[in-house]
Order: sequence, then C-alpha cells, then structure tokens
Amino acid sequence: MLSAEAVSALSLSVRVAVVATAVNAAVGIPLAWALARHRFWGRGLLDLLVTLPLVLPPTVTGYYLIVLLGRRGWIGGPLYAATGWSIAFTWYAAIVAATIMAMPLMVRTARAAIESVNRDFEKAAFTLGRSEWQAAIEVTLPLARKGLLAGLVLAFARALGEFGATLMLAGNIPGKTQTVPLAIYTAVQTGESSEALGLVLMLTALSALVLIASARLGSRAQ
Amino acid sequence: MTEALGLSERLYVRVVKSLPGFSLDVEWSAGEGTAVLFGPSGSGKTLTLQCLAGLVRPDRGRIVVNGRTLFDADAGVHLPPQARRLGYVFQGYALFPHLTVAANVGFGLKHLGRAERESRVAEVIDRLGLADLAGRYPRELSGGQQQRVALGRALAPDPELILLDEPLSALDAPLRRQLRDDLGAILSDWGKAAVLVTHDLSEAYQLATTVVVYQDGRVIQSAAKSELLWQPASEAVARVMGIRNILRGTVVKATPEAIQFRWRGQLLEAVNSPSRSYLPERRSPLAFYIRPEYVRLIRKDRSGPDAAHHMNLMNATVTREADAGTVWSLYLRLEEPGTPAQGDYDLEVEVPKLVYEILDIPRDRHWQISIHRGSIQVLPST
Repeated sequence: MLSAEAVSALSLSVRVAVVATAVNAAVGIPLAWALARHRFWGRGLLDLLVTLPLVLPPTVTGYYLIVLLGRRGWIGGPLYAATGWSIAFTWYAAIVAATIMAMPLMVRTARAAIESVNRDFEKAAFTLGRSEWQAAIEVTLPLARKGLLAGLVLAFARALGEFGATLMLAGNIPGKTQTVPLAIYTAVQTGESSEALGLVLMLTALSALVLIASARLGSRAQ
Repeated sequence: MTEALGLSERLYVRVVKSLPGFSLDVEWSAGEGTAVLFGPSGSGKTLTLQCLAGLVRPDRGRIVVNGRTLFDADAGVHLPPQARRLGYVFQGYALFPHLTVAANVGFGLKHLGRAERESRVAEVIDRLGLADLAGRYPRELSGGQQQRVALGRALAPDPELILLDEPLSALDAPLRRQLRDDLGAILSDWGKAAVLVTHDLSEAYQLATTVVVYQDGRVIQSAAKSELLWQPASEAVARVMGIRNILRGTVVKATPEAIQFRWRGQLLEAVNSPSRSYLPERRSPLAFYIRPEYVRLIRKDRSGPDAAHHMNLMNATVTREADAGTVWSLYLRLEEPGTPAQGDYDLEVEVPKLVYEILDIPRDRHWQISIHRGSIQVLPST
C-alpha cells in the first residue's frame, strides 16, 4: 500500500521523535527543575529562550538554527572548518529541530508538575539525610510523574509532527531527511493524493496510539 | 572563640533574618524537655524552626544543640539540613504519599544496612502502635495515625532534637485534644528534647517545659511554663497570651512586697514579687490584670465579712452576661462615675453555672466584689 519512500519517511519520523523525546527527558526535566526550584542569574532569560519556540513561527526558529548550526553558522561554521562536516541536511538536523520545537512543551509541563509538589516533601527528605538530587529522584519526581509523563507525550507528539524548523535546517531529502509531515506536503504538491492519504492515516493512527498508551500509563501510575 | 556561650545550654538559638516585609531577631535558650514557641501567626516561629533545621540560612546569629554548633555566622559555620541530625515534623505532616508507612518511617535510615534498617523500622512502628499499618499508604490513615507516622519518621534516625511545626493545627477540636495527650506521652516516653511551634495557648500549657513567647519577629518573654503563667513579663506578653481584664492604673506606693495603685477611683493593692524587684515610681502608670475566675461576688445572706479575704472591695453592676459553656461570663460595671475601663464594662468575671443560679444573678444585678491581692497580677512595663 505504501511506497518505499513513505515507509522510510515513517521510520525516520519515529526515530527522530523517539530521540527528540529522550533528549527532552534528559535535558528538559533538569531544566524544569532548575526553573521551578531555584532562583539564579539569567533565570528569566533561560525561561524566555526555552519558551520562544512555542510562540515563534517554526520557520523563524529554523532560521535561528541555521544561523547557529548552518555551514556558516556561529557554531556550525567553525565545526565545518575543522572537520568538513555540517549537521545541516542530515537526519541529526531533524532531531535538533524536533527537540528544540518540543522543548517548551516538555519544560512547561514538567515545571508545572514539579511546582505542584509541596516543597515540604523535599524539605522532609533533606532533614532525613537526602541531597537535593536524591530528594528529586526519590520523592519529587515520582510525585510529579503524571505531569512528567504528559510532558513527554506532548513532546513526542510535537516532535512527530514537526515541519517548519525541520524543513529549514534539515531540508526535504527523500530517504534522508524527509519525515512524514514533509512527505505528506511533497505528495500533495506533486499530486500523489493516495500516497498523501496513506501517510495522513498512518500519522493519525500513530498519534492516537501514543495518546491511548499514555492514558493507560497515566491511570496505572495513579 | 565565642564557643563558651551556649555550651551549658541544651539548646541555644540566636537568629537574625531579614525578609521582604518581615524581620526576625530572636535569642533564647532551653534545657531539658519541650520548648514551645508560642505566639500569633506570622510572628516568626516557623521561620525560627526552619533556621534550626538548616532549611533557611539566617543572616546572623548562632545555633548550638547539645554543644554542637549547627550555625555560626561569624565562624562561617552552616551545617546543611542533612548533617544536623534533627527530626522535623511538618505542619500537615508531609508524609510521602507514594510510600508505605514502613517506607516513610525507614526513609531516614538509608545509611543503615538492610537488616539493621528493617529491625529499627519494626521497633519504631511497634512502639508507636503502628504494626498493623506498616503496609498502608498515608492516605489510608486517620489523622492520629498520620501524626504517629510523622513522629516515627522523625524519631527513627534517633535525632538529637525533634522540631514540631503546629503538629495539631490540621485537626478537629475533639481529635486535637486527644492527640495532644498522645503527643505529650510520646515525647516524654522517648525522652526527646523538642521544640514545638503553636499559636494555641492550651497546647503550649500542656506540652511545654519552657515557653518562648513570640511577637512580630521578637521574643517578648522566655520562661519556664509556671513562671510565664503567673508572671507574664509585660503587658504585651499578657495580651499575646489572651489574658483578659488587662487594665491600667496609677501607682500610689510600691514596696518589694506590695504595690498600691489607683484604678477607676478605687485604691487597690496587689502582691509584688520580691524576686522581680519591680518598684515603679509614685504616679507612674501601671498595667495589671485580674483573672476573671478570681473575682469574688460577696454573698448578701452571710454577715461578718472576713477581712483577710475581702480586700480590694468594690461595688459593681452586672451589665450583661454570656453563657460560656461550663461557666457564665459576667460583665461588671463599677458604680463609679467616668468611662468604664473596657468599653461598656470594667471587669469580666467568670462564675460557675451553679453559683450563677444560687446567687440568682439574672434577677440580682448589684454586687459587692472583692479581689484577693494575690490575684491581681502586676505587669512590669518594658
């Protein structure tokens, strides 16, 4: 039913979304912790930077990513000069774009979940010998798990559907950086309506599956 | 070093902390037993407790527990809460909702080996009568059981001192009374020194060895319970303690044994405390209080007043009364010209219900009253 290109787009999309979600868990949760529990210099700026991709058009975020990571970018330029390799137009670029676009959802949801946990629980853990890190792992994060799970689901869904920033940084190379949303766009543009419909249905089914699974997990975690 | 100060005390606290809109500046010490920090909400009691526990860092000061300096601003000592070995019972208990009773109690015993930890948890749980509940979660427990688990969690690591923040404030009145007894029994049974924060005077009375009275971030009196009850250090303390009939007169004569003063046209005499050696000057203002239950109504059907008892005699009219449950509160106005001392009355008097009926107070409104000179408490001005 699906073409080889569609299958590869689907597989790429899933891989990108999984990695982007993993990075969001590893980076976004500590970031949410810092914003929720600490007052430090530059906190407001950090909060702003993390949240901006939520309100900016994805193409604008993508543009910034090119300025930063492109072959002539602030980071990408020196990297290209040193190694001859650039992240632009690779599947890593799709991961970066998806991660950055999903980050605000992860951080904001996780932060709200952490803030909703009474700080007395942490303080109690401190007086019982736990460090901040241990208190987070043993007390606060388990108590915030529903919110954290919701954040991960939102991040995964956002990463799966990413279009604009991915197009800017990773391009639309079939079999290499063409994710499902890009493949759908391309299929519609070239008049392959059955291909587009197949991909649309696949993506819809996948998203619905994720939501159902997370609802199951959420009710079990209660 | 300034180490010497405070070493003789079991607990020495000197804390200065400025927050936006509030400043705490207190110094007190306590020996064996339970020190109760008493005062209205927002007077800095909980903040002091958090400084003690290391959860808040004071700007200045020093905290010494059993000769161990936990905090010393000058020496740059600030032990983290993990290293202070103090048990903390939070307001509302803060039991970990995702852990069982046994896991809550054992939470502070991570440093022990598994076998040792389990036997200690079993011992604590057993001693607190929680053995049947070991596998339950906090939400499945009653208020009283939760309090026991919170105490068990704090006591299990064998802390040097246990800190309790309004441990009974979340409970309904009848349960509160029962748990107050419970709490007192557990604290004395375990022989733990404690610092307890409360704004409830009866709680303070029942549980305290020492009472530290807080107001607006300052300590206005720190004394043994018995001393505080009979000798509030100032009018401010008396007001915080909710003492009624706090009045103001003018000194006529003061000796170490007695103080004579004028109030509402009457010449009254009160016992002075030689130990306190409070000798105000003639004509200086004087604050004093009369406990409502210590005012006598003199029976008209008995003749021959007993001079020893019938001192400080006054004539008064009952203006109104209120049923206060087991007693009647009578609001008396002196039969004297001038404005009454407390709005529309001069003295609040409490009489048992039986006395109220025998004396037929609803019909008979005019009374001669007397107050023993030992029942008028003079409040030194500060």
